[in-house]
Amino acid sequence: MSAYLIDPFSLPFMARALLELCILGVLGGVVSAFVLLRKLAFAADTLTHTVFPGVVIGFVAAGEGGIFVGALIAGVLTAVALTVLTAARRVSSDAALAVLLTAMFSVGVVVVSRQTEYTSDLTTFLFGHVLTVSGSQLVQTAVLAAIVVLTLVVIGKELVLRAFDGVGARAAGYPVAALDLVLNVLVALVVVAAVQAVGTVLVIALLIVPAATGRLLVDRLGLVVGIGCVVGVLGGYAGLVISFGASVYGGVRLSSGATVVLALVAAYVLALAYAGVRRVVVAR
Amino acid sequence: MPSNNEPTLVFDRVTVAYGSVLALQDVHGEVRAGEAVALVGPNGAGKSTLIKAILGLVPVARGAITVLGGSPAASRSKVAYVPQADTLDEDFPISAAGVVLMGRYRSVGWLRRPGRTDKAIAADALDQVGLADRAKDRFGTLSGGQRQRVLLARAIAQQPKLLLLDEPFNGVDAVSQDALLAAVAKLKADGAAVVVSTHDLALAHVSCEEVCLLNKHQFGFGPPDATLTPELLQAAYGGQALELHGDHVIVSRP
Repeated sequence: MSAYLIDPFSLPFMARALLELCILGVLGGVVSAFVLLRKLAFAADTLTHTVFPGVVIGFVAAGEGGIFVGALIAGVLTAVALTVLTAARRVSSDAALAVLLTAMFSVGVVVVSRQTEYTSDLTTFLFGHVLTVSGSQLVQTAVLAAIVVLTLVVIGKELVLRAFDGVGARAAGYPVAALDLVLNVLVALVVVAAVQAVGTVLVIALLIVPAATGRLLVDRLGLVVGIGCVVGVLGGYAGLVISFGASVYGGVRLSSGATVVLALVAAYVLALAYAGVRRVVVAR
Repeated sequence: MPSNNEPTLVFDRVTVAYGSVLALQDVHGEVRAGEAVALVGPNGAGKSTLIKAILGLVPVARGAITVLGGSPAASRSKVAYVPQADTLDEDFPISAAGVVLMGRYRSVGWLRRPGRTDKAIAADALDQVGLADRAKDRFGTLSGGQRQRVLLARAIAQQPKLLLLDEPFNGVDAVSQDALLAAVAKLKADGAAVVVSTHDLALAHVSCEEVCLLNKHQFGFGPPDATLTPELLQAAYGGQALELHGDHVIVSRP
């Protein structure tokens, strides 16, 4: 058994991939809880697509090293735009987000299609390359994760109050617009942290699935976060083990990033089934 | 701190507008510590708008609202607001006790967590609305009336000088209504002033010292006997009011 479950991680690149996915799993577990409470799933989806042109332009301008800066700039700009759009309510925010999402994504595709190795680059940007994560990328991810989790620990109770009762939070004198901006920027930072490992599209799974799974199983926020972290980490581990095993022992090449996402989704489906069964049993 | 004879809340010819649309004109009156004012009027009369103006959430176009001797925005820490329970997410993963503890957040401050004292104050507030035994239940699993009581407990935990309630009795069962009224009465006895918007004229009559009769502008502000008269009610409610032999008026609920 250990040949399948543990030995793969004696390879340095697999160990780095596992560490990267563990950090992202915990990060996703914590942040997805706030995405769930504030119903930001669509906003998070928009962010993942608007960071894409930042990644591409950063890469074109400065190579691998430009990706992080490009993603960071695009992510923070989108977070600000999201906050303003949803606060002003002049346009239906759904439509505004959809326009922003598709426009920015197209910009990214246009820029990347001017490159010679267009399709392979595109695949990398969209789906990441967790198996070639470098030591410095690991450090970047860890630093961003630390910033995000620390911020959430510090202003978590205010964010929960705002999510539960926005008018009440304003009535109590809290700067609700500023709280919204901070949360949007934190979600953007998660996208930036995860972009090189799992790509701009797959990171959406990390921002939604862990807490959605936890919420199906428990009613308390602390437990939702805890289960979310476990799901995030186990999803990363299972995805790596399965994609590694399939290619080494089965001769089938599976994208590790996509396999991680499928592992996360499998956890969600299991939780959904469990919640369904429990409802039936309780109803009896 | 206002002295004992200074009113808690003063409306001085208050006009509130959303853009060029006048929502509410010429509200004039005052509420003292230990007293309650009922905001009475048909739907869309501007009751919620007035509550938001007291909170400083909508700007006053003309006139002024003075809360505890200062501007609405400056006095927020001593003002508690109770929203309608059905405006809140029933799926939210939070217990009744967790909701009440939120009432302590402002005095706990940023960065710090609620301590033992805060938890004791919150538990006591939940007990005052008769729901101590439901502390661990998820907020969304409680009945509408119980959720309204939890929100009142959150306001009590804030230890306010001014309490604002937005339609607290809508769709609330008799047990919860009695519990709400008892808890509000205790707050008044402890020296808080209360503003409550309601459709229920009988409740306004028995539980409030003052009535502010509204429909876009003020039709009366004073003791219930002087404001809830057939003439004024018909003026404020128009076709929605029906006079029954002489002294009695019924108004249609929304």
